[in-house]
Amino acid sequence: MITRFLTDVRAKFNPFSPRGKTVRLFLSLLPPNARSSIKIETKMLPRLSKEPSALYVKLKDGKELNLDLEKMKITEVTAEVDRHSRLLSRKEELTGS
Amino acid sequence: MPPRLRLPLGNLRVRIYHHILPSQQCTYASLATTTTPAPPIDQTIRSIPPIARFPLNQPPSHKPPELRKSQLHRQYQSLLKSSPLILLFQHNNLLALEWMGIRRELAYALRNVDTERATTSHQNLYADAIKIQIIQTGIFASALRVVEFYHPESQPDSPTQHPSNPSTTSSARIPDTLPTPDDPRFTHGLSRRAHQAAANRKLKLELDPLLSGPLAVVAFPAVSPQHLKAALSILSSSSDFPAPKRKIQPSYHEPAVQAGLQKLMLLGARVEGKVFDQEGTKWVGSIPGGIDGLRAQLVAMLQNTGASVTNILESAGRSLYLTMEGRKCMLEGGKKETETEKRGE
Repeated sequence: MITRFLTDVRAKFNPFSPRGKTVRLFLSLLPPNARSSIKIETKMLPRLSKEPSALYVKLKDGKELNLDLEKMKITEVTAEVDRHSRLLSRKEELTGS
Repeated sequence: MPPRLRLPLGNLRVRIYHHILPSQQCTYASLATTTTPAPPIDQTIRSIPPIARFPLNQPPSHKPPELRKSQLHRQYQSLLKSSPLILLFQHNNLLALEWMGIRRELAYALRNVDTERATTSHQNLYADAIKIQIIQTGIFASALRVVEFYHPESQPDSPTQHPSNPSTTSSARIPDTLPTPDDPRFTHGLSRRAHQAAANRKLKLELDPLLSGPLAVVAFPAVSPQHLKAALSILSSSSDFPAPKRKIQPSYHEPAVQAGLQKLMLLGARVEGKVFDQEGTKWVGSIPGGIDGLRAQLVAMLQNTGASVTNILESAGRSLYLTMEGRKCMLEGGKKETETEKRGE
């Protein structure tokens, strides 16, 4: 996953629901030094809450992604984030260096 | 100069003894057997028991035992069986330096708890046994399934004699002394029966949704809320479990440790076979005084109820006594009155 262009990640999940797995895996994909450049907020829900897990991602150009995690799996989430990141990286290549 | 060692010339000659070579001495095999010593009397009465082809502490396992995953499986099983309290953490790409710092701080905090307990003459000092450990999630899940669903004690044993037991007679028919995992006698955690019991996919673990992604565990050898509190205040500090102050533990506030702690997430805990979420874990950690505190609470509660129960039971008897006394007084008073009335007439 391309994480260079992420600026903001807000995650909310219940670890005891099978849907919370996607968010947890997404958080584990962020690089070790991610917290120096990305603002990461995680909120863990109690075990019995029925609240759906949510993942909000903001990219460098201001693009905001609210990912619906009821259906998406981790590969789809990374594909979605990468699609925008790749656009940004191409733009960066054309304009800069 | 004469030689220093004075030897007679006859000793310096090489002698060849042709006439006492054993090959020449016994030409018949029957003659040779007569010279060997007789076997001990025990062996002539009964022969040696049949031999098992594997060591007692290394029974054959379902998967090849020399693989790393088999050994990890065995290790996790013993961890799960021996520690009633296990905290589960997710670790998101921590660096080695950060792990080092976190381990150091955890050990320091736990040692402080132990020194405190040692001063109040507690026997249970666990600081050296509590460590944070990264686990292989899949193997841990499999080991947990074996621990939860495989109970060899409850299954009926096939009455067998162990081959390497000296009391086993040589004529005993032992089904299989060769190391094959098919043998139903093997009931250890890596045996084929254990594997089959754990392979039943209809049985669901309560902890199943947690067991994915990168995980680390903190295992406690006993449910000791004081140690749990210390561990929680280091690993996931909150308002209930405040992190140590900068003056008391300055190394805790190093950037490496703090960056590492941000990437650790407490997912839940397994306490004596039951699964708790974050809140439940904090509740266990906040039991004042640990198991002794709970015992004291229970004793106080029972004493109070005992007193009230005796009061209630007594009160019934007392009220009966009072009413009877009242009645008696009334009757006696009535008699006196009638007597005085009679006298008056």
